[in-house]
Formats: sequence, structure tokens, C-alpha cells
Amino acid sequence: MATLEIKDLYASVETKEGRKQILKGVNLTVNSGETHAVMGPNGSGKSTLAYTLAGHPKYEVDSGQALLDGQDILTMTPDERAKAGLFLAMQYPVEVPGVSMTNFLRTAKTAVDGKAPAIRTWAKELNESMHKLRMDPKFATRSVNEGFSGGEKKRAEVLQLELLKPKFAILDETDSGLDVDALRIVSEGVNRAKENTGLGIMMVTHYTRILKYIKPDIVHVFADGHFVKTGGPELADELEENGYDEYLPEGADSESALA
Amino acid sequence: MASQCKEISIPTADPNDPYAIPAAMPSSADRAPRSFDVADFAIPTRKQDDWRFTPVERMEEFFEVFQPAGKLAVEVSNIDGSSIDSDDVSVETVAMGQAPSGTIAKPNDRVSAVEWNSASSTLVVHVLRDLHQPVLIRIVGESTELDALHMAIVTEDRVHGDVVVEHAGKARLAEGVEISTGKDSHVSVTFIQEWEKGSKHIGNQRIHVGEGASLRHSVVTLGGDVVRIRMDQDFGGEQGDLNMLGIYFVDPGEHIEHRTMVVHNHPECKSRVVYKGALDGKDAHSTWVGNALIEPTAPGTDSYELNRNLVLTPGAIADSEPNLEIENGNIVGAGHASSVGRFDDEELFYLQSRGISEVEARKLVVRGFFGELVEEIGIESIAQHLMNVIDRRLAKGEDKAAQVVVEEN
Repeated sequence: MATLEIKDLYASVETKEGRKQILKGVNLTVNSGETHAVMGPNGSGKSTLAYTLAGHPKYEVDSGQALLDGQDILTMTPDERAKAGLFLAMQYPVEVPGVSMTNFLRTAKTAVDGKAPAIRTWAKELNESMHKLRMDPKFATRSVNEGFSGGEKKRAEVLQLELLKPKFAILDETDSGLDVDALRIVSEGVNRAKENTGLGIMMVTHYTRILKYIKPDIVHVFADGHFVKTGGPELADELEENGYDEYLPEGADSESALA
Repeated sequence: MASQCKEISIPTADPNDPYAIPAAMPSSADRAPRSFDVADFAIPTRKQDDWRFTPVERMEEFFEVFQPAGKLAVEVSNIDGSSIDSDDVSVETVAMGQAPSGTIAKPNDRVSAVEWNSASSTLVVHVLRDLHQPVLIRIVGESTELDALHMAIVTEDRVHGDVVVEHAGKARLAEGVEISTGKDSHVSVTFIQEWEKGSKHIGNQRIHVGEGASLRHSVVTLGGDVVRIRMDQDFGGEQGDLNMLGIYFVDPGEHIEHRTMVVHNHPECKSRVVYKGALDGKDAHSTWVGNALIEPTAPGTDSYELNRNLVLTPGAIADSEPNLEIENGNIVGAGHASSVGRFDDEELFYLQSRGISEVEARKLVVRGFFGELVEEIGIESIAQHLMNVIDRRLAKGEDKAAQVVVEEN
């Protein structure tokens, strides 16, 4: 049983117009086995929250803590956070030319576990996971994310989630750009990971579509840099019906360049 | 085809107005003198086009004829360390100017003329018949006294063979290499520079690819304070195929320079030049100049050259200059590409977010960057050998980074 506890987190980003505060007092606790859906309008800071937790250098933490089993991950380098058990499935996975998926996955697995995986079981596990995600075995020999379609990139993210077995996963709009079949396959992968490891999930999304496949225990509304409302799965339906207007400050534009 | 090109009459250009007849503009072949006499070449300065990227002040000792210290250890063996069968390869030392020494091409600049006049003899490695494993010429230095070394690597017609030349240790070396491959031969020659700190290496290679022959020429430079290697090539007849690969890794303060000169002087020859380098740290400086000259006598030429540079940390400088001189309109292709890119922060974050440390991430990316090129070599023993050399180099970087962390704490 593990806990990820975000306490009064403030973070900002450097923009052309100067420093801009994006996260304004985020508080959230996610336990193992729980699935939290984080919903909110464009530009509310959902992705910033995801990347700040993972340690992207663009975002600067001004104050607050993110405790993973009591350890503040915000003082760690991104690789240390991954080793501590955090995983970020990115909305736009990065291409790494010249580095094959197999080599990358084995290197990551070795780093996260602190020892190289046993060759035979590793190869078997990799093949099985790829098969379940309907990934062509040829992907293993291709460069990381290079020339992958949007759907293939998302499958590759979930493949890593299944193989690296983190304690907590942040899924940043994993549903975006997926057709119905791919959405189902990717969701099944996430659900498998949860069943197998008791993963705690923080799922950032605009739409309720993915929630049909990955059932949230708790739904949050995120607006203007912090959580404004928390409820059960029924809150998602309400949002689908009424939109985010009531959570936006007077006269605010729901579209923002900082999305 | 050959008879056809004899009918081409080349108009004479007016030196005062060279652009009047573009095809007759002075080509680099006309401009470049060839001579054994040092006095025929001016002392290099940065004002001369061939030297404008080179820190000439750091290699002045190579501008005047010197007495070589003779302290280099040179060994020739099979790559597995066993001794060579003299029926496969003859290895001998001949006087300077005794064939094949000096017959493949004359020196073409000040430093190569100095090397010619300073070296005491020529090491001749002659591949006589098909080889079962690569020949290794291992050159190890142990001091920074000036030394000169002249080699000739020659192959018979129709042979298949691979030669690897390795440089290691500490040296201040002027090196001349003449390479001539036989008709319809298939040969690879690989030069590895793994010099220790404080080393300098001024190399000049003159390469002649036989008619119908294919030559894969690879250069891997992974260390040395100043390394400057100029390689001039031409073809001995139709249907020659030249493949030049280069890999370099430049540390802070080092100057690593490769200059390739591919001359298409016969019809229907093909050339590919691909050089890739990674630069790490302040004042790491690489230079690649890729010259290709397609002469009027070379219809059907197919040539391409490419240089890519990966700047790993800020403060490094990569010069990259492809030059094409095309004096024949009847060609298949003459392409070039050149780039200098930074190690991407997003790539680094992605790898790190999967638990891979920054040091390991850089290693992974650099290994991949070079690996694509090494794979192309296609000779398992040599590709493996090169990957080992690169891994050794990357491991060295890791130790250094670890050391920095230790020192900082």
C-alpha cells in the first residue's frame, strides 16, 4: 500500500511575458489501487501538474510537496522519481532516433529495478505485453517512438507502464488521438497494470469517453491551477452535460496558450 | 562511354573572367600543387582557405622538416593477434620513394611535404590474396616527441580484404598514408584514433581506388588534442565505388578535423561520404570539410556526402562545410547534407522519466547516433570492434562524469 500526497503545490513556468504562476495550491492524495480522474478546461494547468510531478525542467516548483510514501519527490531528478515509483504517460511521447525500443526498455527496466532483468523471462514478458497491446513485434527493433502514429505512441507508453511496474501512474490525456479500438486496447492495458500491481492512477482528461473503459473511483475538477470540486463517478457525467463554465472565473477564456 | 568522353573538347577559360565559361572555371584540381618539395608550399595560415578552420598556432611544429624521434611501436598482425601468413600479406619497410612509396600520389600541402621529408622509411602492407580476417596495424606512442610515419597500403587485383589501423597512446605524429586498391578488388580500410591527452596527429592520406573496385574507408577519431586528417582520393578507372565513413567524439578543448576530397575523374563511379560527430563541452571543436570534384571526364558520376554533428553540452563548436565542384552535367547525382544539432532536452527528459540517469541517457543517444553508421559497415568483426571502441570511449566519459560528482561533493 503506497500513497502519493500532493500538499499545497505552487509551480510556475517561464514565458515570454515573464514568469507565470500556473499551479496555485494543489492538494490531492492518491492511494494504491485508486483511480482518480482529473478533469478540467484547457489551460487550467492539468498537464502542468502532470509534468511538474514528473520533474520536467520547464516547470519550477515555488512551494509545496509531493510525498511518495513520505519522500518528497519534488527534490529528486526525473530519473530518481521514476525509480521511486512514479510514471508519466505523456500526451506527446518524444522520439529518440537511433535508440531501439528493446534497448530503451531494457535500459529503463534495469535502471528502475536496480538490476538487469533475467534475459529469458524479460523477452517473454516483453513479447506478451506487446501482443496484448496488439503491437507488431517489429516495433521492438524500431527507434523509440520514431515514425510511430499517434495511436502507436500511446500503446508504447502503456507498454512501458506494464513493464516498468510503477506505484503511481499519471496518464496525461492518454485518450487523445485514439480511435475507438485503440482506446479500448490502451485502456485494457492500463487496467491490467492496475490489477497486476495495485497501481494508483491519476488520469488527466478532457472527456468522459475514456472513463467508460477505465472506471474512476474519484473525479476531480481542476480549474485555474487547483482542484475546485471532488466527487464520485457521477461528477464526470455532470461535467459532460454542463461543461466547465461554472468553474471558470468571470470572463475567463477557457482556451489558453498554456494548455 | 569512354570513347564518347574523349570527344569532349574543353574550352580554355580566361583567368580574368572565369565565370564567362562556367565549365572551364578553375577547379581545385588545377589550384592544388603536388610536390615532394616543402618549399613549394607556403606555411599554413588561417588566411588560406584549407586552413581557415584549423588552429594553426597549435601545430606549428609540423610546418618544418624535423628529425623523427622514432619512438612509435608499430606492429602488424591479424586482428585476433595471430601472426600474418606472408602468402596473404607481405609486410616490408622500404626507403622513401621506393615503389610503392611516393608513387600513389605526391604530397599536396605543407604538412604532407614535411611528413614526406621527415619520415625515414615507408611501411608497406601489401594484400596479396583474399583475407580470412582483417589485418591490424597497431601504432602505439609513448611520448610527445615529434615523430613521422609513412605507410603504403596496397592490394592486388580482385582481392577481398580488410585492414585496420589503430593509433593509441601518446604521440605527436605526422603521418602519411598512401592507399591503392587493385582492379575489381573489394577492400575496407579502417583508421582508429584513440589518442591520450596531449597528443597531436596530423595525417594525410592519398587514396587511389582501382577500376571496378570498391573501397570502404572508415575513420574513427575519439581523442587527441589536435587531430587533422586530410584524405584525397581519386579513381583508377570506370565503375569504382568509394564509401567513406567517419565518426568523431570531441572533448573540451580538442580540435578534431577531417577533410575528405573525393575526385571523380572516371565515368560511372560512385562515392558516398558520411561523417558523424558528437561534441562534448566547452571549446570542443570539430571541423568537417567534404570536397567533391566531378571532372569533365566523369559522366555518370553518382556522389553524395553528409555530415551530422550532435552537440551534447553547450560551448562546443562544429564547423561543417560541404563543397561540390561539378564540371560535368551528365551525372546521376551530386548531393550533400550537413547539420549541427543539440542534444534535445525533451529527449533527455523522456529517457530520465523512465528511470534512466542523465549520464546513461547521453550514452544511449550517442551510441545510437554512431550505431546507425557502424551498422552500415557490414563486416561483423570490424563493426563489433568499432562498437567496442565507442563503448570504451563512452565509458570513459561516464567515469569522468562520476568523478566530477565525487569532486563536487
